[in-house]
Amino acid sequence: MDLRRIILLGCGWGAVYGILNGLSNVFLLPSAPLISLRPQIALPMAVGILCHPLAGFLSGFTGNIVGDGFSGFGLWKYWNWHLANGFMGLIPGLIRYGGIARIGTVRDFGVMEMAIVLASGLSVALAAILDALFLHMMEFPSSLTGWILPAFLTDAVNGFVLVPAILIMARHIVITLEMRVILLITVLLVVAVLATAGAITWSVWGDVASHAAMIKNFYVAGIVSVFLVVVGFMASLSFVRKITDPLGRITKAAESVEGGNYDLGRLDGVSGRQDELGLLSRVLQKMAQKVREREEHLQHQVQELQIKIDRDRQAREVAEIVETDYFQQLKKKAKEIRNA
Amino acid sequence: MARIVAVHSFRGGTGKSNTTANLASLLACAGCRVGVVDTDIQSPGIHVLFDLDPKQSPYALNDYLWGKCDIERAAYDVTAAVGPSIPGRLFLIPSSIRTGDIARVIHYGYDVNLLKEGCQRLIRELPLDYLLIDTHPGLNEETLLSIAIADILLIILRPDNQDYQGTAVTVEVSRHLEVPRMYLIVNKTPAGFSREALAAKVAATYGCEVAGVLPHSDEMMALASSGIFTMRYPDHPISLELRRIVDKIRE
Repeated sequence: MDLRRIILLGCGWGAVYGILNGLSNVFLLPSAPLISLRPQIALPMAVGILCHPLAGFLSGFTGNIVGDGFSGFGLWKYWNWHLANGFMGLIPGLIRYGGIARIGTVRDFGVMEMAIVLASGLSVALAAILDALFLHMMEFPSSLTGWILPAFLTDAVNGFVLVPAILIMARHIVITLEMRVILLITVLLVVAVLATAGAITWSVWGDVASHAAMIKNFYVAGIVSVFLVVVGFMASLSFVRKITDPLGRITKAAESVEGGNYDLGRLDGVSGRQDELGLLSRVLQKMAQKVREREEHLQHQVQELQIKIDRDRQAREVAEIVETDYFQQLKKKAKEIRNA
Repeated sequence: MARIVAVHSFRGGTGKSNTTANLASLLACAGCRVGVVDTDIQSPGIHVLFDLDPKQSPYALNDYLWGKCDIERAAYDVTAAVGPSIPGRLFLIPSSIRTGDIARVIHYGYDVNLLKEGCQRLIRELPLDYLLIDTHPGLNEETLLSIAIADILLIILRPDNQDYQGTAVTVEVSRHLEVPRMYLIVNKTPAGFSREALAAKVAATYGCEVAGVLPHSDEMMALASSGIFTMRYPDHPISLELRRIVDKIRE
């Protein structure tokens, strides 16, 4: 992709992102006056993955400038957050350099989701460090609950859930069997964890003694949620791969049989399993062996095919026919008909 | 120019009638006016494939040969049996299935010259683009006549020792009759045989082009003699190969 196109796409999506930022700055999290719920953070991340990391960076960077402008924060006042938004778009886009062109396996999907969580963490950390070094607008440790944690938690969860949704719509995620399984598990996991955390937070909201305790409760729930989602996701990845990886290998082996390769030695690992997949693999290996034997047998037959003709007998029989008067007349007549 | 296509095999049971009926149907589907003459008077059968009821067809080739009627009276339009909205037309000139008629032919024979004149008259009167002759197996007088008047001769054989020697004699005799175009068709090939290898071997053995190698098919056996296979299974490998043979005939 050439640079001009990258810049155009980056700034174009940046404008969209900026408008959404301006709109959503109205809805703020408790105790996080400058950081909103921001589901739109998925946009620069998706742009980074779909178009180019640089386009992702530009859309995040310009979008945050536009958003701050709309909200009256001043265009350049919080420049550290512009950079942080840029990196949120840039980092997930880097997975393409890990050989992930389209997401079709559980491994690709896991790498992408982890890149999104990582992008949220690193970017927020970058914003905090830049503030400590240059801007001095946040005070540690109060900034931890006022800025850093809210930004990280919301961006990580939003990106984790919404980027895959955008990629499915953009057909960047190939819906293979294992993708179906991991997507289902991911959705269940996120819904279960967030619903539980949300319900607990909600139920104690009015009963907690102080405002500070309320905030603390809220963020403990948030941290535990993200932790559970990440750990649960990693565990699901490994479980799903245990099921779908042999299935993928069996499918590839069946394809190779169709192409005429009957050597299914590479299925040996799968055939050792005691479950249905092991049985399927063993049956396929046995079938391929039988097909190969039959094929070789028939090939052999064709090579052996002898068309035996007794040429002396043939000449004798032909002579018996062609030397009759009837045949000679017929031959003459045939010539007349054809010449007529 | 109308063409006469004789379909022959040295032995019976090679699928000659079935192949003839399918080739004729494919030609009619291609928009040609086609006639099929069943000269297998001693063991007629092709009428079954076209669903022609002997009760509905009072005249047969036998009646023409004995001077009872003009040959076009014995030609029945069976296009509807091939399928709906066929662009061409298909006429069948059946042989009589009455045992008395068959016995009379075997006993007294007939003037084979009448067969030649009948074919020419059919081409002129119906009129026809192609006239297919389903011959009697072997090399008797009427078979030789069919071969002699043919523009294209198709010889069907099975990859079977019983067929090789007789086919060699047929090919050689046909060369003496200077048939303009002669092709071999290998039928009922067992599964697994390589089409190309078999065609090359047969062509080299007989010094004659192989127009098609038709695989043995359980579906065809199941359909037996009811209906036209290529119409029922248009995408079956057999149908595709038969279509290639039709292309060859139309060249």
